[in-house]
Amino acid sequence: MFAFVIRRLGIAAVLLFVISLVSFFMFTLAPGSPYPWGELNPKISPQVKEAFRKKFHLDRPVWEQYALNMRDLFTGRLKSIKDERPVLERIGERLPATVILNIYAISLSMIFGLLWGVWAARRAGTPADTVSSVAALGLIALPGFWVAYLVLIGLVKYAGVPVLGTQSYGVEFPNLLSAMLDRVWHIVLPGTILALGGIAVESRYIRATVLEALKENYIRTARAKGLPEEDVFYKHALRNAIRPLITGIGSLLPALVGGSLIIETIFAYPGMGRLGYEAVLERDYPTLLAINFIVAALILLGNLLADVLYAVVDPRVRLE
Amino acid sequence: MIRRLVFGLPALFAVVVLAAFVNALLVTSSPKNEMSVGMLGEPATLNPIKSADSAGGTVQGAIFNGLLKYDANLEIAPDLAEKFSLSQTTTIFFRDENSALTGLLKLEAARAGWEAWKLKSARLDGDSLVLTLSEPGMEKSREIFALFSGADVVPLGVARVESDSPADRPFARIEAAAGGGRIVRVWRESSRAFEITAIGGANAARYAAEAFLAGTEGAKVAATSEIPFLAEPVVDFVLRRDVRWHDGAPFTSADAAFTFRALMDEAVASPRKPDFDMVLRVETPGPHKFRVIYRKPYSPALASWMIPVLPAHILDGKPQEWWVQNFDRRPVGTGPFKCDEWKTNEYVRVVRNPDFFEAPAPWLDGIVYRVLPDQLALRLAFETRQVDFWGVDPWAVSSFEKDPRFDLFSMPGNSYTYVGWNLRRPPFDDHRVREALAHAVNVPEMVKFILYGHGVQSTGIFTPQMWFFDPAVRPIPYDKDRARELLAEAGWKPGPDGILAKDGQRFSFTLITNNGNEIRRDIATLVQDDLRQIGIEVKIETYEWAVLLKNYVNKGDFDAMVLGWALGPDYDQYQIWHSSQNNPEQLNVVSYNNPEADRLLDEIRAEYNRDTIISLAGRLQSLIYADQPYLFLYVPQSTSVVWKDSFRIRRKKDGAWIDTPVEMTKAGWSYYSDFFYRPQFADRLPEKSN
Repeated sequence: MFAFVIRRLGIAAVLLFVISLVSFFMFTLAPGSPYPWGELNPKISPQVKEAFRKKFHLDRPVWEQYALNMRDLFTGRLKSIKDERPVLERIGERLPATVILNIYAISLSMIFGLLWGVWAARRAGTPADTVSSVAALGLIALPGFWVAYLVLIGLVKYAGVPVLGTQSYGVEFPNLLSAMLDRVWHIVLPGTILALGGIAVESRYIRATVLEALKENYIRTARAKGLPEEDVFYKHALRNAIRPLITGIGSLLPALVGGSLIIETIFAYPGMGRLGYEAVLERDYPTLLAINFIVAALILLGNLLADVLYAVVDPRVRLE
Repeated sequence: MIRRLVFGLPALFAVVVLAAFVNALLVTSSPKNEMSVGMLGEPATLNPIKSADSAGGTVQGAIFNGLLKYDANLEIAPDLAEKFSLSQTTTIFFRDENSALTGLLKLEAARAGWEAWKLKSARLDGDSLVLTLSEPGMEKSREIFALFSGADVVPLGVARVESDSPADRPFARIEAAAGGGRIVRVWRESSRAFEITAIGGANAARYAAEAFLAGTEGAKVAATSEIPFLAEPVVDFVLRRDVRWHDGAPFTSADAAFTFRALMDEAVASPRKPDFDMVLRVETPGPHKFRVIYRKPYSPALASWMIPVLPAHILDGKPQEWWVQNFDRRPVGTGPFKCDEWKTNEYVRVVRNPDFFEAPAPWLDGIVYRVLPDQLALRLAFETRQVDFWGVDPWAVSSFEKDPRFDLFSMPGNSYTYVGWNLRRPPFDDHRVREALAHAVNVPEMVKFILYGHGVQSTGIFTPQMWFFDPAVRPIPYDKDRARELLAEAGWKPGPDGILAKDGQRFSFTLITNNGNEIRRDIATLVQDDLRQIGIEVKIETYEWAVLLKNYVNKGDFDAMVLGWALGPDYDQYQIWHSSQNNPEQLNVVSYNNPEADRLLDEIRAEYNRDTIISLAGRLQSLIYADQPYLFLYVPQSTSVVWKDSFRIRRKKDGAWIDTPVEMTKAGWSYYSDFFYRPQFADRLPEKSN
């Protein structure tokens, strides 16, 4: 197992290098430039352009820029072209907000997905199950921005306050609890909209695996020995059915740090999605490189974690 | 156990969410004596000399002051400077001291002309004659220069030296040689570019430069030119004595001089540097005296002193990393508000500066600049009074106009939209064709349908708010028959398919613009429709902005394009219209070339006299409009909607505080925002002084 992890880590390192190289070349090949003053600006002279390019190594060949950026990334000195602040600092500023939002959204989709899946599995084949299937597909198909706009407009119409940012504007909170609940409220709305699709997907998944498990021989055995149906369902079928769910946690790792551009923009939520999107628009190559690198590393790590977890949970699997 | 989890966790979630919801309904926002501004974009930095975005400019305006500012009529007025005066030193070089003396005597004899020449004094300096004029510019100096016979006067040569790599040592050698001997002036543009002025014409300057460059690899004389005399405009600022930085330190001329040094510093790579490239040097004759000497008359440079002044006592000698970590996001200025907190992607908050030099103003406790990147969210924030005003889109103006809860402020913006014809390509090289196209496109209808009437037809390169705009230039009327006539004159006859043709060539072209801009796409469609009616085929292509610029506009590879210019109140449009500016990546992308326009463009930027500038600008505007290198479309009206009674103004006028409602000025409705107060806090305003 130890040898397996080491080997996989080695492969991951090579992959990571290739991914960052390819993505950096793709960014820099795209037309556009990171000039902060826009392209058509009569006030800018060629000398200023040149000084700017020199300052951020943009006058060097692309491979050299890549090497310089990677060196700076690993020494923690990589600076954004936008505001010259260390890229890691800029990411660090937005990461907590995004991680909290994603933890909320992911746990919401798992918890309610589980509830819904169990509910649907118990009623498999009934008209209620059919209705819930259609509803789930509908939820998956809902565009997030549309729901977000509806929610926001509805809130303004009925409650008179929009939910923007991480805290209500212009409010003096009577106590700490109220202030905390306000913060929770600002996570609940974007987080729930983010989770809607996930809840539906998760419910379909749970329903399918539970129904699968109910066909197994050990279920027949359990029923044959006269166990109450409740016990059969929850203790035997469900427990086995949610095992893949646990191992899937590994693959959620990158989802934790990846932000959602659209939801963050609409709710003015300060997260990674906006950082990445702004970096693309501004052609902020160092920031793009760093975000890409971190997300790629987490994906690779997540895959590895999933494999390891699988072996831990399921004794039949051996890693070699 | 699992069963409890399956049902228990959702219940727990529901309880927390419900509590949060109830809490959200219970808490109420209390009105604050604060202005709340919604911005779609976030500033990149609050350091004004590094800043290039409008969001940054807005916030910096509350924190900093420049030496100068625009007044409510968009004209230059003093700010940190108490007053300023212009003059010029003109130096004429003679063959020897004797001929210089003869020159001076000649000038003394012509004393009657001094008044008209704006000549204040003349003195000898070796073999040169130094004149002081009370108004900068070339015209008067040329008149004086004409007095001396050419034989006695020695011309000057200017050599521009460029080096592939930093060449500090040879440059230092040249600088050391300046003043004595043949070299009369040196100016270091950067570590790699240099300009020297020497007595004796272009070749003399070249030889002088080459003598110093000997043995320096990669350095060469890039260009030489000849000038008759030195004309060096001087701006003398007298600074206010009652100004303190937010940390209490006094503001002095050292701060202004430092700001200039920082702007020129290559490590800063300031995007504002080109505004200061004409500066020869700055001087600080006293703690509250600041003098700027220019290399040649260039009047637009005066407005560049509106740049916010940086605190030398904090920044001088600190490395760039220090600026980034300690100043760029928490700057110290002299303005009415101090920077308090910047929460990335959320808001920037500035708070009242009690020691503002117009104290007891400002009256507001602070301003919050909220970053709301979504248009609808911004509008909802405005409608729920979370932000005080909103820049409303043309289509939505009418719904706010009828609503008594709001005040609307509207003015023509400093921008215009146009269709640019590529003058390198037929048939757009034919003036009759361009005029016909201008007659064929129904611009008033465009304003009506695209801007819902909130705009005016553009009549050329300046917009109506600018003080040098010439209202006498009339728009070319929509007239399809006249268009057909002109096209027929130019040889375009209807072909078999109904499309005009000339010499077997169909009149068909491609109109390009950037995608994602619905207004420009609609304009292209209307142009297409209008031109089809007179037998011209238009194909429309849209490209992503960066692609449009890189592959088409910058290369000059297009037939026609829909674009717009957003410009400051600046009469100098050399970069856009001068025939020398038509190379790839330069801004005269349509390749406009008119020697008369070139002359006017050269003249206007060297002119300081207000009346002359107005007359030159008028001629320039009507000339270019008549040439129709662009089909000038419209100047959109920009409209702000503000909650009624949000603010009143209490400002100083002629030494006394006056109290007025918020009113529209040429510089916008929020021009006096430093002096805004909320009526419901009127009784809590600091005591009026004076």
